[in-house]
Amino acid sequence: MAANPSLGETLAVLLARDIADGEKVIIGTNSDIQLAACNLARRLQAPRLWWISGPGGMVNPTRDHLLSTADYENLESAESWMDLPVMIDFIDWKIHFFDFAILSALQVDRFGNINTVVVGDQRKPRVRGPGTVGISALCGLAKRFYVCLTRHDRSAFVPRVDFLCGAGHMEGGDSRERMGLPPGGPRLVLSPLGVFDFVPDSKVMRVRSISPGVTLEQIRDSTAFDIVVEGMPPVTTMPTDHELALLREHVDRRGDLRRKFP
Amino acid sequence: MTKSKIVSVDEAVAEIPDGAKVALGGWIFNSQPMALVRALIRKGARDLHLIPAPGSIAPDMLIGAGCVASTVCVFISFEQFGLAPHFRRQSENGTLKVYDLDGPAIAGGLRAGICDLPYMPVPDLGTDLPKFAPEHYWPLPSKPGDRRMLAVAAVKPDVCLLHAQQADEHGNVQHLGPPFFDAMIAQASRRVIVSVDRIVSTDTIRRSNHLTKLPSAMVDAVVEAPFGAHPTASPSLYRSDEAHLKDYVRSSASAETFGAYLDRYVRGATSCAYLDTIGGSRLAALAVSETNLK
Repeated sequence: MAANPSLGETLAVLLARDIADGEKVIIGTNSDIQLAACNLARRLQAPRLWWISGPGGMVNPTRDHLLSTADYENLESAESWMDLPVMIDFIDWKIHFFDFAILSALQVDRFGNINTVVVGDQRKPRVRGPGTVGISALCGLAKRFYVCLTRHDRSAFVPRVDFLCGAGHMEGGDSRERMGLPPGGPRLVLSPLGVFDFVPDSKVMRVRSISPGVTLEQIRDSTAFDIVVEGMPPVTTMPTDHELALLREHVDRRGDLRRKFP
Repeated sequence: MTKSKIVSVDEAVAEIPDGAKVALGGWIFNSQPMALVRALIRKGARDLHLIPAPGSIAPDMLIGAGCVASTVCVFISFEQFGLAPHFRRQSENGTLKVYDLDGPAIAGGLRAGICDLPYMPVPDLGTDLPKFAPEHYWPLPSKPGDRRMLAVAAVKPDVCLLHAQQADEHGNVQHLGPPFFDAMIAQASRRVIVSVDRIVSTDTIRRSNHLTKLPSAMVDAVVEAPFGAHPTASPSLYRSDEAHLKDYVRSSASAETFGAYLDRYVRGATSCAYLDTIGGSRLAALAVSETNLK
């Protein structure tokens, strides 16, 4: 294999491995890593993965490169094309229609709640983010979700999100169920430093595996809450030559992941 | 035969009063109704209350030009070019009132507006949204053991500005790509103004009538505005102008540079002069052809 995987490529491969055949997923706007993960999974263990463009309604467009899910060029290779007024029923109301969604965030907290709205007070924020769109419904109604961040620091991994726009495990424990949300919540959080999951009972974020060359101290120093560590977590299995070759030849031929997420 | 609904871009926005609730169609860098937005800024609109579909430069330019008192935010982003500069600055200064709405609140709100219902029920998804927009979300009574439900208020814009690819003089509007929220916004709005890149005959409309996403009964005015979504894309006709979008973000760094941007592209310019300023070779390069398919 020629070059090492870029951050974007690694995240796409790690997500792709967790996808099962036949699952249904929605991909939103500005979602290069999400799209690469789904299309790579279709090349590997999940050829019957069903994905729909959130903004455009195109289903399973086949492309050998990454293209905005809103782009009309997805139409010519899609197997169906739905209008948003029809889609909103299963995006915003229906329980467990989607098996999963992959979401990014300004902040994620120790219980996996996410924030894409504001840092600080909504009425006079320190950072005004882009907003919520489908995130609340996908976190609340999909069978599970993933949080994929391309940075890991104390401003992103916070004790409590400044604005909760996507419910993870809420206040931990069984609080999500008590809130009346259907079973689900965050399964994995991925960052440049590692892969994280949640302790079954307390629902506190814990280290599942560590990126090569990263130390536990680095993760603790970059995380603004007490992250759970059980024993010595393994090193994350990096993309194989086969996974990387498929990704570069059939999913991201133009190298967008390498360019945007080096 | 109905009377022609074709009007000029300035006529189309002339009767939008200050303080109006104005919805904007399209999606991020697709089909933003920019010719209409520029006309609204030229007219000197003030104190507007925006209801944008997930957008970018359409809400941001109106905010930057001082036309906006409040905006709904479902999603306002410049994607690979960062956060929306004026939306961000005025929010962070506390000078712009922002109503954060999620997908269920805008979809349910528009549906309630369309159906003349006061609200639509949505599941309580446990977010902080209701706390900061109680005008839009309130709890519904529920029986013990039932799911917790919220009402989301009907969204009824006074007027909406949309951009599509083609229409006939009667106002049959065709989308040659994804229509996004446009049809719902049109049905929920009291007055519907659509710019299109070209006017076509009714025969042309009839030959591909499955593309008519807005039948004439839903449309009040049609404006012929070639490249009317520029610098965003008009699906199947031209791509977004990434160089211009970057230039816009750069120009938004200070009041002086943004004032110069508005003078150059908006205030001094009719729609024709705008296209001349952008330049023929630039526009030709954006037009979709086999050589610039993504």
